[in-house]
Amino acid sequence: MSTGSLSRPREAAAKRAGLARRLSFLLLALVVLALAILASVAFGSHPTSLSQVFAVLNGTADPDIAVVVESRYPRTALGLLAGLCLAVAGTLMQGVTRNPLADPGLLGITAGASAGIVTATAFLGASGQWAAVWWALAGALAAGVLVHVIGTAGSAGGLVRLVLAGAVVSAVLGAYVQAVALSKPQVFDSYRYWVVGALGGRDFDVFVSVLPPAVAGLVVAVLLSSGLNTLALGDESAAALGANPAVMRSGGLLAAVLLSTAATAAVGPIAFVGLAVPHMVRALVGVDFRVQIAFSAVIGPALLLLADVVGRLVLRPQELMVGVVTAFIGAPALLLAVRRMKGAS
Amino acid sequence: MTRTRAASPRGFVTIGRAVAIPVARVSVVVAIVTVVLIVAAAVATLSLGRLGVPVTDLPRALTGGADGAQAFVLGRLRGPRLVVAVGTGAALGLSGALFQTVTRNPLGSPDVIGLAAGAGAGAAVVALYLPGVLPVPVGALAGAAAAMALVYVSTGTGFRNPGRLIVAGIGVFSIATAFTQYVVYAVERDKAAVLTAYVNGSLAARSWSHAVTIWAVLLVVVPLVALIAGRLEIGEMGDELAGVLGAGPRSTWAWAVTLSIVLSAGAVSVAGPIAFIALTAPQIAKRVTGRPGPHLTPSALVGALLLVLADLAAQQSPLPVNLPVGIYTLALGGAYLGHLLIREWRKGRL
Repeated sequence: MSTGSLSRPREAAAKRAGLARRLSFLLLALVVLALAILASVAFGSHPTSLSQVFAVLNGTADPDIAVVVESRYPRTALGLLAGLCLAVAGTLMQGVTRNPLADPGLLGITAGASAGIVTATAFLGASGQWAAVWWALAGALAAGVLVHVIGTAGSAGGLVRLVLAGAVVSAVLGAYVQAVALSKPQVFDSYRYWVVGALGGRDFDVFVSVLPPAVAGLVVAVLLSSGLNTLALGDESAAALGANPAVMRSGGLLAAVLLSTAATAAVGPIAFVGLAVPHMVRALVGVDFRVQIAFSAVIGPALLLLADVVGRLVLRPQELMVGVVTAFIGAPALLLAVRRMKGAS
Repeated sequence: MTRTRAASPRGFVTIGRAVAIPVARVSVVVAIVTVVLIVAAAVATLSLGRLGVPVTDLPRALTGGADGAQAFVLGRLRGPRLVVAVGTGAALGLSGALFQTVTRNPLGSPDVIGLAAGAGAGAAVVALYLPGVLPVPVGALAGAAAAMALVYVSTGTGFRNPGRLIVAGIGVFSIATAFTQYVVYAVERDKAAVLTAYVNGSLAARSWSHAVTIWAVLLVVVPLVALIAGRLEIGEMGDELAGVLGAGPRSTWAWAVTLSIVLSAGAVSVAGPIAFIALTAPQIAKRVTGRPGPHLTPSALVGALLLVLADLAAQQSPLPVNLPVGIYTLALGGAYLGHLLIREWRKGRL
């Protein structure tokens, strides 16, 4: 952002201008998020007007309308949490792997988490959301390690190898998840939408059960954020500045896995939020990880909630799962990123 | 054309001056063995299981001597399904071989770069939104062409850069699959089985009209493939050499891509986007024959064998629910692709 040739007062002025710019962007993002939350509470298969929604929030509404509006609270909370987790996880993964294509969905981590949940539910008799979260974590870790092993086999791995390895692992695990879900319909009746990624049909228990990994992942992410800035300068510079690159990298990936697990256990495997949001954030506010993580935590939930609102409106009174809507939004982002890829694989 | 013939006088079967099909002895042996295996798998498909026609009864039943139940199994249930499986597998294998030759990349395959998913989306739109207005293959063809165009445009370098090709393909695949999901949910509401047939591909409940469709596509396309086979083989030696030998790469490539799209669309319109046959069949053919070249015939035969075997597994699986064959090919093909990637990367060839 600033170069050594700038004199000190001018540098400070540029910093202040940058800060003002960032603050105004942050304010804007928060407004968008607030609107997204409001839209998520207000729109649905049963039409409710804004005045009705405000009446419910004040506690002065007709009980029938209140039931309708309050039924949208859990999915709004889940959307907030999942959007935050996915966006921060994507930011961490893109930073740590220095791969602009990294995304928990593309790299197979959400597929691993789903496979863990499906296995536990179908074969191990795991019941309850808490058990599911642990199995999701195990599956996500296993898939992450597998993708890493395949993607970096032989000489130093390139961008495309990791993505391809993620696609392969996702494909196989996705086939497994579908096979199990289709062959045990009675077990997976409530999971049918979750397999594609959906916010609806889940309650606050789910939200509470995924809070521990989400909070843990977020804390690690914030603690690591300044270290990730030094890592971006290259391993040697990072070491010279007192950071341990190996520790930073594994810590960052672990946080990303925790966050992706929380999101997947909450709402199912959703791709592209973790890919698209960091790209948007970098375009807005630059490469400082402390700022990137803060902005991802605001823009991610806004994007996911808006996608969910769109999904509720396009097929009214039916719903389109949010995972389908995010693919429409996020896959074009991937196509745009392709053009900026340098050289061959 | 005469120079083409002069360049490789032996090892080609020529028909007049226009057609020169490369034939190697290994390929002939591989082809014969594969055909024998396909026949064996076909016999197993018809005779295994509760409804199967016993092997000893098969010759009589197939020559018109079937009684009621056997005639129903052969004529309505397993017969058309088997014929569709052979034709679809061959079309997918050939399509993959053509496309991998053009992109010079084992991963530049119709199912990896989203072409089949695009065809599936087109087929879903025509079958569900416009039933009876347009034939399903037309929709599949339009979808495949659109997916291909999207990949071509978004890489910015055509099909030349393998990395970009693959990543763009993953994006196009995701869009096409999301679109199919949207269409199926919009029209069929809540039927999970319908969705999985359109997203994964299935051979359940195929009729003779499906069989006619895919074999008609093969009947039209295979002679055209034979016309360009010789030039594709020369193209394998590199653009410059091919140019010197008079096999202009551009028009040959355009033909190969077009025929590959048509084959893919034909396969998808009868069976849905069945994953990874187009990717794996040419790779297996290449390893079995152990020769360079486009491996067109072996790829088609291996593709047919793979799909018949996968469908046999799908029909005879001990699971309580019959899963669509596309889920089997997705799992097995994905595992094979992972193995392939590790091998190639170890050798530093990719």
